[in-house]
Amino acid sequence: MRNPVFASALSLTLLSASLLPNLAQADAFQLKGEPKIAFIYAATARDGGWNEALDDARQVVADKLGYPIAVAESIPEDASALKNAIDLYVQRGFNIIVGTTYGYSDGIAEAAEKYPNVAFVNASGTRNADNLESFYARTYEGWYLAGIAAGAMADSNKLGMLAGFPVSVVNWDINGFTRGVQVSKPDASVAVLYTNSWWDPVKEGQGAKSLLEQNVSVVANNLSSAAPFTEAEKADKYSIGFQLDMSANAPKGHLTSVTFHWDKYLVPTIEAIAAGTWEPSEYGAFPGLAEGVVDITPLPDSVPAAVKQTIATQRAAIIAGEMTPFDGPILAQDGSEKLASGASLDDEQLWSMDYLVKGTQGGAQ
Amino acid sequence: MEQFITHWLGSTPAFAIPLALASMGLVLCERAGVLNMGAEGYMSLGAMTAAVLTLTLGNPAIGILCAVLAGATLALVFGFAVVVMRCEQILAGLATMAVGLGIAGVVGRSYVHKSFEGLQPLDLPWLDQLPLVGQLLFHQDILVYLTVLIGFALWFLLEHTRAGLKIRAVGEDPASADVAGVQVQVQQLLAITASGALCGLAGAYLSVASSSIWVDNMVAGRGWIALALVVFARWEPLKALAGAFLFGAIEALLPRLQAIGIPAPIYLMNMLPYLFTIAVLLVAACSGSKKGMEPAALGQPYVRQDRH
Repeated sequence: MRNPVFASALSLTLLSASLLPNLAQADAFQLKGEPKIAFIYAATARDGGWNEALDDARQVVADKLGYPIAVAESIPEDASALKNAIDLYVQRGFNIIVGTTYGYSDGIAEAAEKYPNVAFVNASGTRNADNLESFYARTYEGWYLAGIAAGAMADSNKLGMLAGFPVSVVNWDINGFTRGVQVSKPDASVAVLYTNSWWDPVKEGQGAKSLLEQNVSVVANNLSSAAPFTEAEKADKYSIGFQLDMSANAPKGHLTSVTFHWDKYLVPTIEAIAAGTWEPSEYGAFPGLAEGVVDITPLPDSVPAAVKQTIATQRAAIIAGEMTPFDGPILAQDGSEKLASGASLDDEQLWSMDYLVKGTQGGAQ
Repeated sequence: MEQFITHWLGSTPAFAIPLALASMGLVLCERAGVLNMGAEGYMSLGAMTAAVLTLTLGNPAIGILCAVLAGATLALVFGFAVVVMRCEQILAGLATMAVGLGIAGVVGRSYVHKSFEGLQPLDLPWLDQLPLVGQLLFHQDILVYLTVLIGFALWFLLEHTRAGLKIRAVGEDPASADVAGVQVQVQQLLAITASGALCGLAGAYLSVASSSIWVDNMVAGRGWIALALVVFARWEPLKALAGAFLFGAIEALLPRLQAIGIPAPIYLMNMLPYLFTIAVLLVAACSGSKKGMEPAALGQPYVRQDRH
């Protein structure tokens, strides 16, 4: 190999030959080595809500796929703390990192750039890349079904809903629920109460009490503490839960809970990563009822068969893609038109939902 | 409307009592010259202790008692650091806060989100049916009445007893107090321990009385509001009590406005405690009155060799 031109030509040929098989699936992410997974939580994993739903999915992933999984809890959302944790995991050979919070978005995006051979997924994140996919669920589909049940069981036209902050992922739950209620009771209204916090049981309990003082017949809880269920149970009213099955907190009044089943997203995604066929969506993953990532828990016997039938029909229609809870016309709380008849909200409009629909009462400024 | 006000006032203690207890404890501590940033930690520890013991033993009284002890013990650790070892008070306070939050999170791990039968309101027939103030005055649990008592007791202690004079002397001028035969370190340790106990009780109130459940991080910044309240109250226990009820009334009003369909300006109203505190600071600075000033030796470790 004295001839440098020949040598470089040969190596170029070899190089392109080695590249060829990859060209067939140029965008798919290729994992180096056996999958080793790390879950990183911003608080304790068994928090009775958001993290616990993800941690339940982690156990399913472990049972079904059998890959080694490490867990880190209470890693703060500031980027430096998160990057330290990711650096340590990558150094120890972990090549699939699962983030669990919106607050990790930017830190994970930086890490994904630094480690192009590591796969990243992040729950409720905002950033995506060639090796990073954020995911959230169409929770409003579950809330819509829960709303149908709540509207049918309510013995007055007044229902109430507790929520955290006025952001799009919360607003679409409230709006989905309200539109579900209106399927059963067109004239009903839903009083909306933001606690301005994600985990303050004192505020949640007092919020539920305030709604019950206004004689709402159903308390729908978009937050995760048990306090609102206890209050609703004491007042002999119905309640609806979120994230996990909350029936144990209100054995008499619990109608249903809108639950996450993240394993339905994580198992196929991790399988695809391991098989070398994973292509992260540039808009992030946004599964719903159809994928089984969101659902409602079975309704109690007190719910009439006709109502159960309506819910089953609507559920099937959403899964089949024949309808969405946000088909036009959509009117805002003040009556102004947000979406014309015949259209339905696209994902971009969903993610920028900064209004409540007609039939809601109150809210925040 | 009458119903609305009755319910609103009746729910005020759920928010006010934890703030009142914690801020009165901090007033005592700061009057003895010690700046105590650990309130959030003592409260977390108290909330967790009370909830876990109530869950396992089924008796809120034992839970609350142990929460008081737990708060006092953690405060004693802080006291050892700043009074005996003369550490920097702000840093030591922040460290104790982190320790309290950490212990609460680790020990309470498997007790998260388990509701229990907490402290119940006393049942005073007829009286609690009084319009407007019936619920506030006659449908509360025993700790609410105890908190008001503690407020008056602290005021009497600080303003009208020899023991209170010693505490105040230590906070104003420890060197002179030392010369006069007051045991500076003992006074400060007592005040710190008492403040930890009151913060522990405040935390217990959150979990066992206000919500009947324990969740990690449920103190949610109330320790810091209590710290602001101390300044708001110009280091006087009764003003701290009144201030806590004012802040509590605002917090209890927010959900009720929303529930009747008035879109509440939640961000603005959540700023109010801090705005009030800044306003009080401004008024105090402008009026130039000597009454209600910050204790002169607040935050300075006392070393006897410095005497001059």
